[in-house]
Amino acid sequence: MDVGVKIIDSRGAACPGPITDLARAYRNSKVGDIFEMWATDKGVKADTQAWATKTGNEILESREEPDKIVIRIKINKR
Amino acid sequence: MKKVLIIGGGGGGLILANHLDTNEFDVTIVDKSDLHFYQPWFLYIAFKGSKRKISRPIGELVRPGVNFVKDEITEINLDERKAYGSRKVVYNYDYIAIATGTSPDPDSIPGLRQIYDEYGDYHSSVYNSQKLWSHVKNFKGGTIAIGQASPTCKCPPSLLEGAFLLEERLRGMGMSVGISDSISPSNGNDPAKTGTKGKSRIVFFTPFPRAYSAEPMNRVVEPMVKERGIEVMPFFDVDTIDVQNKTINSLEGESLKYDLPIIVPPCKGPKIKFTPETVQDEDRFIKADKNHMKIPGYDDAFAIGDCNTLPTSKTGVTAHLEAMAVSELIQGKYSEFNGRINCPFDTAYGKATFVIADYKNPVVPYPPTATKHFMKMSMARIYWMTLMGTADPIFERFFKFTTPEKLNKKYASVE
Ligand SMILES: Cc1cc2nc3c(=O)[nH]c(=O)nc-3n(C[C@H](O)[C@H](O)[C@H](O)COP(=O)(O)OP(=O)(O)OC[C@H]3O[C@@H](n4cnc5c(N)ncnc54)[C@H](O)[C@@H]3O)c2cc1C
Repeated sequence: MDVGVKIIDSRGAACPGPITDLARAYRNSKVGDIFEMWATDKGVKADTQAWATKTGNEILESREEPDKIVIRIKINKR
Repeated sequence: MKKVLIIGGGGGGLILANHLDTNEFDVTIVDKSDLHFYQPWFLYIAFKGSKRKISRPIGELVRPGVNFVKDEITEINLDERKAYGSRKVVYNYDYIAIATGTSPDPDSIPGLRQIYDEYGDYHSSVYNSQKLWSHVKNFKGGTIAIGQASPTCKCPPSLLEGAFLLEERLRGMGMSVGISDSISPSNGNDPAKTGTKGKSRIVFFTPFPRAYSAEPMNRVVEPMVKERGIEVMPFFDVDTIDVQNKTINSLEGESLKYDLPIIVPPCKGPKIKFTPETVQDEDRFIKADKNHMKIPGYDDAFAIGDCNTLPTSKTGVTAHLEAMAVSELIQGKYSEFNGRINCPFDTAYGKATFVIADYKNPVVPYPPTATKHFMKMSMARIYWMTLMGTADPIFERFFKFTTPEKLNKKYASVE
């Protein structure tokens, strides 16, 4: 795990879902922060993409692992 | 006899206490209040002016043999197995379960304290819900901004339930709801729905991507939101409120003007000083593993219900099922919470649905019906039996026949 990367573990969250944890982390973030989100909810990719577009932040990577979906987000705007 | 100390006599704490064998364990509940409230009814006080009595003394809701003490816990030392109350009273334990629910935090958002004190809300108390009702019933027209100030909130459906019940209320008062082009043609010619007593707009703001956070349920309710003329502002996480200019600003950079603000404040975990302090997250919620509710590093300490960090909704049903699992674990049996949620969702006009899912299965796109509404209303009566454990057989059957796996086969099969 890289230093300075905040892990947001939302595995298992179906309702209200992973965006809850992402929005909570965003409130306490600063420009330059990197989040790594772990989720199992299938809709997480589309939702984080829509969130990043809306807030002006950047999805660095999005990949599927056997037990989770991993999304890396860079905070460019806060 | 081993001592079980339960902090909080809400749904979670009472169900746990009432499922422990008091011949085997010395069980004590400590709560700062001597009353227990049926919180789902706040909605009907705030939007219908209900006068139903929704509280009962905690001392009357415990089974014989369970002790109840009225006291506020300020400090818990997990290493020394001690909890501290007011006036330095010390409670020792062999097992501790923390079930302190959430506390509203209107001071964490600039401007919110003033709104909270003036308009109330429909999540915090009977008093606040009555205050909100006095504004709703006297509303003369304009824009109502309604929503949650932060993503962490009790009972995810309750936010949109508020908007639905508000819309039903305003139309009932003879008002129109929505900017004209958002009213569907099916409503357009209906005088009851176009309104003669003034014009109103309901703007539902939410930090989530859509009206209802979980997408499968959104598919069910979004057409209703549109048809009723309720406007939605997604990805709207409240940053500041400019009370002078009646404007709410979001972290995402948008603003929303209001005439009447209905804002559910952010909620936080308990104001208790823990040793070690690492057991609480930045919002004071207590860390616990998602299947056994154990506080990491301790075999004798659990956090159940709204006060923990489990990746599930903060609802009475989860508090209930977590409490049942912890009661078995304390009594030496194996048990596990599977993340089951079952949140009743009043879609107004006499219909309701349930938000059902668990850790492994997504939310069911479960359609609203009058029967489900009847079940939601009946809960206000059965609730007291639920706390005592006397309604367990009904719930066991209900949960068995309505697993998200089974229901998704039926309702989500088209996907
Ligand atoms: C509008 C609304 C609608 C809802 N609808 C539903 C629904 O339809 N179905 C559903 O399942 N759930 C619903 N809920 C959610 C449900 O009410 C809560 O999830 C549930 O009450 C949580 O139980 P709990 O035991 O964790 O906490 P609570 O019931 O909140 O109890 C916490 C207790 O701890 C005590 N306490 C706190 N701090 C201390 C301290 N330091 N020392 C001593 N005592 C302390 C408090 O006084 C309180 O009695 C709704 C909630 C709201 C607001």
